[in-house]
Amino acid sequence: MMPMYFFFSDKVVLLFDFWNVHSPAGMALSVLVMMLLAVLYEAIKVGKAKLLLRTMPAMAPSLSQETLEEPERASMNTGVERLAGTPQKWFLWHSIQTLLHVVQVVLGYLVMLAVMSYNMWIFLGVIVGSAIGYYIAYPLLNAR
Amino acid sequence: MSHEHHSMPHMDHHMNGSAISTADPHAHHHTTPSTEHSHGGGMMMDMTFHFSYKNVPLLFSGLIINTAGEMAGAFVAVFFLAMFYEGLKIARESLLRKSQVSIRYNSMPVPGPNGTVLMETHKTVGQQMLSFPHIFQTVLHIIQVVISYFLMLIFMTYNAYLCIAVAAGAGTGYFFFSWKKAVVVDITEHCH
Repeated sequence: MMPMYFFFSDKVVLLFDFWNVHSPAGMALSVLVMMLLAVLYEAIKVGKAKLLLRTMPAMAPSLSQETLEEPERASMNTGVERLAGTPQKWFLWHSIQTLLHVVQVVLGYLVMLAVMSYNMWIFLGVIVGSAIGYYIAYPLLNAR
Repeated sequence: MSHEHHSMPHMDHHMNGSAISTADPHAHHHTTPSTEHSHGGGMMMDMTFHFSYKNVPLLFSGLIINTAGEMAGAFVAVFFLAMFYEGLKIARESLLRKSQVSIRYNSMPVPGPNGTVLMETHKTVGQQMLSFPHIFQTVLHIIQVVISYFLMLIFMTYNAYLCIAVAAGAGTGYFFFSWKKAVVVDITEHCH
């Protein structure tokens, strides 16, 4: 039966029937995969925020100042029109964001379910992956 | 923990025994009690909410709640953990705003804390990565991820007392820490 507390073991079944780990090498590989998934999760989170900043520059003061100087263009979605152009283009950006969101939610749940195995190695892998992902991806958010 | 380790090869051994013994009906009786024992010995996972304070495992093998007093202690601990989580989230957000607002409003005059005007210079990604605020944020991020997974696993026990502790702690924490929260793009949010 599945234990309900953290333990160290190189035997675990992760997410799917076929992901059945029963050797130290397999465990190392699984930890690596979980690390990469956690890094990807952080990267997508930052990528989504970056995309949002690009398509919705309402918060960027330089743009809002320009829209103030052009009152005829100062509608609700001026920023969107300026950068994304036509409504069709805005729809495309929005679809990409939606897709990224779906990927992020799925990844988040997969990582959560893997942590739920209560395997300490997997847990540590996820934590380290999350830290690396945050450390590398976050500064890229502000890069031009 | 050692229990689990020892029982694993044990079970395999018996499994092999039963596989061989399918032709031999005498050995078959021998294996049935052991499989029953391993089934009853393991902690069954409840998949519905329930109120109980007997034999509730809490994250680690040494932490098993068996009395009402222990449950009360665990309730308080979990409550404060959830409260701390909310506080940490908001502290990270405000730290982030303090250190990065200036970069976002790049090359724009920004009003400083006491009416002064700051001019911000552009930092490269590498400089940002090695800067103290970012390393500090990463450490806080690790703590936050660990706590958020702990809270998730505690909620996952389906023990109603502990679930209430998590929810009440999160509510209390939010109430006390976020009264001056500003609207920003929330990127510190993790898995719930």
